[in-house]
Amino acid sequence: MIRYDCLKLLAPRISDQLVVTSLSGQKIEWASLSQHPGNLLVGTMGTALGVGIGLAIGLPRRKVIVLESDGSVLLSLFNLATLANLDPQNLVVLVFDNQVYSGTRISEPTATAGKTDLAMMARGAGIEQATTVRDLEKFQREMDAALNEAQLKFIVCKVEESVAHREITRTDLDPMENKYQFVRYLERTEGKPIFRGRG
Amino acid sequence: MEAELAQTLVGGLKRAGIDLVTYLPETRLSQILPLLRGDPSFTLVPVASESEAVTIGAGAALAGKQVAIYMECTGLYVSSYTLVSIARRYGVPLLLVVAYLGSMADQRNNSVYAVSGSYVEPMLEALQIQFQIIKSGERLEADIRDAVRHMHALKLPVALVFTGDFTG
Repeated sequence: MIRYDCLKLLAPRISDQLVVTSLSGQKIEWASLSQHPGNLLVGTMGTALGVGIGLAIGLPRRKVIVLESDGSVLLSLFNLATLANLDPQNLVVLVFDNQVYSGTRISEPTATAGKTDLAMMARGAGIEQATTVRDLEKFQREMDAALNEAQLKFIVCKVEESVAHREITRTDLDPMENKYQFVRYLERTEGKPIFRGRG
Repeated sequence: MEAELAQTLVGGLKRAGIDLVTYLPETRLSQILPLLRGDPSFTLVPVASESEAVTIGAGAALAGKQVAIYMECTGLYVSSYTLVSIARRYGVPLLLVVAYLGSMADQRNNSVYAVSGSYVEPMLEALQIQFQIIKSGERLEADIRDAVRHMHALKLPVALVFTGDFTG
């Protein structure tokens, strides 16, 4: 299973859901597949899941989807325990686990290439329904259920290492520009001011 | 910390519009936690690391919450990466409520805290986070109100740092 194929299945399903991406290849791939104003392209390691948790708490009636990676989740493992206990029913976490630090371009293995099982770790942290998918058919089934059900989902997607993103033109969206686009979209669709203070 | 100061601090946060607090418990300001928990106008988010106190707080702030992050000063070191890579890079208004362990005024200071305390102000300066040192409750409500107004004007984190003169 290739991550880009998973994202191609997800992109047309996005309507009013918010999507927070982690770094490197998946950010590049997602930005090429979706220019939705509800995308927040966080793009730093170990941060997307935390930001997604905060969005899910702040907007409990809005579905929030976090696209994470194995290296990024491993950097912020404390997120798993916090997430389990907060248990936001509107959060879907898709961890694309390619078992390497692909952004390094030398593909050093992550711990999941060895003995570490992220879904088992998530279950140990208390995310009881954490699961692993290894093929596109099961990915589609789990993703459909995640989008339709009001329940925290943590889905580890075992993918092959892919360098597809290296052929994709990177987005030139600046983080500040992305933030304002995202916040103004939320202000319009949630009908409330977010950034306060006089201009 | 005197009970009255804890009430003034929590009341000041509430009147300044703060409605969500992420926190990792510590000793010096801990009397505020039962007060925060007892007031339904606050959403209280316990975390396992100050690093995620910042990322979760930032997500909530982008969703429209008015966010304070309560931590011991050593949490500044733990969260420096997320303060830079998320809060500053995206420009997210967050109020850091920091207990200044190891300051010269820390009345429970010892060899464990003193070295950590010596880096607090240089660390905030290095992170380019504007801060106010709070030594008494005299102007506390105004200081909180000013800090919240400033964080919104800057769209950046700002910090209130409570010394041992305040916390006892």
